Amino acid sequence: MSIVKPCLDALRITFRHLGRKPTTVMHPFQPRTRAARWRQTFALVHDEHGEEACIGCKKCEKICPSEVITVVMAKKRESPATGQKRGWADDFTLDLTACIVCELCVQVCPVDAIVMCRAPTPPGGAREDLFLTMSRLYANEHALPRAPITGTSLIASHQPAEDVAQ
Amino acid sequence: MPFPHDPILHALVLGVVLCSALLGVTSYFIWFERKFAGRMQGRVGPKHVGWEGLLQPIADAFKLLLKEDIVPRAADKPLFHLAPLLAVVVALMGVAVVPLASGLVIADLDVGVLFFLAAGAMTVLPTWMAGWASNNKYALIGGMRAVAQSVAYGVPMVFGALVPVIFAGSMNLSEIVAAQAGGHWFLWWPPGPGLLAAGIFLMASLAEGNRIPFDIPEAESELVSGVSTEYTGMKFGMFYLAEYVHSLVGSALFATLFLGGHDGPGPDLLALQVVWFALKTMAVATFILWIRWTFVRLRSDQLMTLCWKWLLPAGLVVLMVAAVWARFVPGRTA
Repeated sequence: MSIVKPCLDALRITFRHLGRKPTTVMHPFQPRTRAARWRQTFALVHDEHGEEACIGCKKCEKICPSEVITVVMAKKRESPATGQKRGWADDFTLDLTACIVCELCVQVCPVDAIVMCRAPTPPGGAREDLFLTMSRLYANEHALPRAPITGTSLIASHQPAEDVAQ
Repeated sequence: MPFPHDPILHALVLGVVLCSALLGVTSYFIWFERKFAGRMQGRVGPKHVGWEGLLQPIADAFKLLLKEDIVPRAADKPLFHLAPLLAVVVALMGVAVVPLASGLVIADLDVGVLFFLAAGAMTVLPTWMAGWASNNKYALIGGMRAVAQSVAYGVPMVFGALVPVIFAGSMNLSEIVAAQAGGHWFLWWPPGPGLLAAGIFLMASLAEGNRIPFDIPEAESELVSGVSTEYTGMKFGMFYLAEYVHSLVGSALFATLFLGGHDGPGPDLLALQVVWFALKTMAVATFILWIRWTFVRLRSDQLMTLCWKWLLPAGLVVLMVAAVWARFVPGRTA
């Protein structure tokens, strides 16, 4: 009758849970605590010379599993700041409606031009709010706080940060 | 007695009142179950409709009533329509013989226990009816499982119920309650056989009512929803209701057979007796909920093993012990 003890144990455990406080957060009515590494939208950044960092290499477009990134590559031309030839992107769009937030685009970017941001509120339910054009992506650079780990350092950072309340 | 002396009028009035009250209690019992299950799993349960979700059963009933009633083209239509209705009626039938207080019983049958067991065994009929009439393989498999299960578990259930019958020397539920008067409830007096019989009876009545952990006729992970797969709207709601009514009436019978029915401390008032009876029934029903939200579903063969290899021999032994006790030990047995 080895089955009796596990049965009694199970009954004891569920009974103990009866007196426990529910862990439910009444989300739309109560604010939810965000984890330290929580992030939800993107930004394109400028490099140290104040130029658009994106070189239009299309690596992010190719790696994107849900194919939401579109990059229009421009011809290589000289950088006004350094005088060296480099690539440029004519256009860059990212559709958050189908984005699965895998962050592969951030990891694959050779120049760390695309980063994730910590928006304090969800970006909104309207479809046009979720479609990030190039200008909106550059506007996010300074408008929103950066995710704690960005760019190629993501690949190196396999140690999870400690979660704290936002 | 504030009730008419004509037995048919008495049964009719009391029956209508009790059945309506029971259906109301059932819908709030479902609310209670959802709250209880929620707390057991660290959730809050229904919360938004009314204070603490108290209006949720009413909202659910309206939702079910307003849903489209779909009948499969190849279904056996008369049986398909009849099955949910019959399920509720059969589930309610057991109420007739359970005494709520001394004298407060719809039909004070001398074979009350037999009637109740027969009514309980009939629950298999609407279940099988629904399984057959749906013309759906999942419903059919569910119906066949229900038949196998109910037929099997009817036997240990009878053995469990026979122990109080032996001790009280009567099949009349009012006399069984009277035999337990003064706290000599059959659950612990005489010590041993009553407790074992109660365990066997509880398990068998859970299995007969197709309740978790014995709900293999509607095993969601295997059979979609078993016999109620093709049912929509209020017809599905009636199966749901019948399952809960069956569970509550089963708890009431358990309280009557093993917990002394309406026996309890305090003055001999009709209202107080009803309160004691209701408290005991709810305690048993809550214990069933506790079991339901703790254990996982048994496999079909495990279910049969439990019945034929364990409950049946155990039931026979307990019955024998009870018979010997009733014959040779003097005291509070007939």
